[in-house]
Amino acid sequence: MKNFKLYILSGLLFVAACKPEIHNPKPSNGTANFSRFIAVGNSLTAGYSNGGLYLEGQQNSYPSIMAQQMQSVGGGVFNQPLFTEAQANGSGYLTLTGFDPKTGNPITAPVTTDLAVRGEYNAPGFGAVFLYTKYTGDIENYGVPGIKLLNITFPQYGNYNGYFERLLPGDGSTSVLNTDYLDFVTAKPFTFFTDWLGNNDALAYATSGGAGDVLTDKTTFAQLYELSLQTLTKNGAKGVVATIPDVTSIPYFSTVTVAAINAGLAANAQLTAVGLNKLYINALVSGTTYAPRLATNNDLIVLTFPTSMIGTIVNTPYGPLPYGVTPYTPVDNQYVLDANEIALTRDYVQSYNNTIKSQAAARGLAVFDAYTYLNNVKLNGLEVNGISLSSAYITGGLFSLDGIHLTPRGYAIIANEFIKATNSTYGSNIPLANISSYPGLKFP
Amino acid sequence: MKKLLLLVFALMPVISFAQGFQVNLEGEKQIGMGHTGTGVLQDGASVFFNPGAVAMLPQNYVQGGISPLLFKSDFNPQGTNVQDHTASKIATPFTFYAVWGPKNSFWKLGLGVYTPFGGLTDWGNNWEGKYVLESLNLKAIYIQPTLSIKLADFLSVGGGFVYNRGSVDLTQAIPLTNSAGQDGQAELKGTGKGYGWNAGIYIVTEAGITVGITHRSEVNTSINNGTATFDVPSSLQTQFPQPNTFSSSIPLPATTSIGFGFYPNKQWTLAFDANAISWDVYKVLAFNYGSVEPNGLQNTSEQRNYKDAYSLRGGAQYKTNKNVAIRFGGGYATTAVEDGFVSPEAPDANRAFVTGGLGYTFANHLDLDVSFEYEHVMSRDQTNTQTQLSGTFETNVYIPGVSLAYHW
Repeated sequence: MKNFKLYILSGLLFVAACKPEIHNPKPSNGTANFSRFIAVGNSLTAGYSNGGLYLEGQQNSYPSIMAQQMQSVGGGVFNQPLFTEAQANGSGYLTLTGFDPKTGNPITAPVTTDLAVRGEYNAPGFGAVFLYTKYTGDIENYGVPGIKLLNITFPQYGNYNGYFERLLPGDGSTSVLNTDYLDFVTAKPFTFFTDWLGNNDALAYATSGGAGDVLTDKTTFAQLYELSLQTLTKNGAKGVVATIPDVTSIPYFSTVTVAAINAGLAANAQLTAVGLNKLYINALVSGTTYAPRLATNNDLIVLTFPTSMIGTIVNTPYGPLPYGVTPYTPVDNQYVLDANEIALTRDYVQSYNNTIKSQAAARGLAVFDAYTYLNNVKLNGLEVNGISLSSAYITGGLFSLDGIHLTPRGYAIIANEFIKATNSTYGSNIPLANISSYPGLKFP
Repeated sequence: MKKLLLLVFALMPVISFAQGFQVNLEGEKQIGMGHTGTGVLQDGASVFFNPGAVAMLPQNYVQGGISPLLFKSDFNPQGTNVQDHTASKIATPFTFYAVWGPKNSFWKLGLGVYTPFGGLTDWGNNWEGKYVLESLNLKAIYIQPTLSIKLADFLSVGGGFVYNRGSVDLTQAIPLTNSAGQDGQAELKGTGKGYGWNAGIYIVTEAGITVGITHRSEVNTSINNGTATFDVPSSLQTQFPQPNTFSSSIPLPATTSIGFGFYPNKQWTLAFDANAISWDVYKVLAFNYGSVEPNGLQNTSEQRNYKDAYSLRGGAQYKTNKNVAIRFGGGYATTAVEDGFVSPEAPDANRAFVTGGLGYTFANHLDLDVSFEYEHVMSRDQTNTQTQLSGTFETNVYIPGVSLAYHW
């Protein structure tokens, strides 16, 4: 009997010895404390994807991925304002339904079932605001789609943004809300934060082709950024901030190109016969003056531009003319970020990023330089675990169908970059997430 | 003016096999002595170890053995505390040898069937490197008829012709997600063949030391008309034409060995082997498919850039009496895989091994031999230059073995 036990024991020892174990450096929190980690930011932080905010996207938000990885270094509970299973499709979003057999163009369709939309109201002096089912639980992910840095101290912001209204008590369509974003996120004590605000201060202008929004003033941006970091760090919290990507590094601007449209026009016998086979746009001259001119490869066309409009007949003071191919019928401003608008946006983004980096440095905060990172991905692609990723629309695997927000895999990569920045600044060792286990874009 | 959104899938199933994974399990007596056998004469396994020595065998042999092999790899992805382990699957390298010649004749014929290269690795479909490899089952079975001639009492030579039948079954995830959130899957399955030769010389010196020198040639093994199966989201299936075939070729490298045997007294045999394995031939692994798509499946060519590898082995046998033998040995082998090229099908590194064995002879004619080998493939921290899979690999191999040899 004694021997029998010994055999079993030695057998077990043998099996245990069978598996090699690699003793990597142990996870540690370094000089940071991750017990209550909050995420401050916009749609990217909320997990917005495929043109909408919905449960699956929220579950794959980069702060949620980071929080999972922080579990081994003293991370606490991480609550997100999740939509319920019954309303899992949240705001609705785009799905890919297939490819046009002739052109190879992707075909998308909106998801309109199981939404969390509770209504729509007309905000005075602003326009339509969708309202969503309220979320009343605890929150650690404060990502609010659409929010600009400019908005964070505006007490009535909840009346104008349904995603923020959703988190606040009170009905934004019937009462005046009175909680600004910065107060809201800092109401309860926290020990660590990510802050990726500021994208929309440039992006809202750019994605509207420079027509539907304005760039946040540089000085205002600097003042608000300083205020936000002062507030976030006033109780000793540490954190990691991120810079704002070059707006042209996203497929929203790099997919439909002037060159491709002009090539299509050159192949159109009908238009070529009448000498109207070059694209005209309404471009920024200076200040707020716009004038029509021929498009060049330095002008960017937005992903949402309906290219079928080109060549359709529009009535003008000079008679009916084909759209997009004459100086009298240029492509509308909202579809084009022209060379001057790009230069303007870049100038602002550069200034914002200088603010972000210097303000972070002044407080010893970690910085994830998303600007440099995404430019590098655009230039060189990204190879991870045998997956070839790029900034290309649909095929790139990083960006979702809206061409701006990311796929779960893209968010996992961002989460790892935030983690790397955190680890290097605070001497922590938060384990990286497994990129391979997060899916890319879904194909039918 | 259409075609604005061009779909280009430059997706390359990055697939590779025949890593520096040489199976050194060609005879239980020899395994027990650290897998030495070039310069000593034990039994019919000399067909493999040194065909030149076969004519020196005092008897005729029929023998078979099997060495169930448990390959346990661990991968620790860079910057994580994750440990990915291979599943416990048992590969079965085997040997069969027959040696015959008229009594006291100057020649002998031999036949060997053995498995000098192979790999059975199953990482599963959930691990960090699943887009590089999920599982691989690779086998090369060599069939080798041999003729050996004794030129003098102190010198014999021999050579054989090698026919290799190889098979591969490889699965890999494709990073294209379907609507249910699942990956695509690729499976490449096929058999191939190749030819080669080997030759050896065996010398008994006046001092009583035995010396063997052998060369086993490169065996370039081609797989044609293998089955390539791609399971991808249906909207992309046209980019991965089905049904499909693939072809590839793998050079299994030449090995040159020199071995020595020392016999201090009647009980003891000491053996030493040194091997040079010409992995240098393995530069590129190319896959060609039966049908490709300009915007989808493409032929691939992957850099391997192997370098020559070397191994040193030593072993001893102690005969307590004429029927019982106790054996032990060990060795060290350098890796063929250069930094930046390590990949999960056989995560190669320098390796050390120890062996032990027991032999018993029944009624002067039947040998029962058992052996055990433990091999440790050193931990290696690598980022693959092509796939960027980054982390530390470490492997242990456990190989018990048993053989029966009848001789007369």
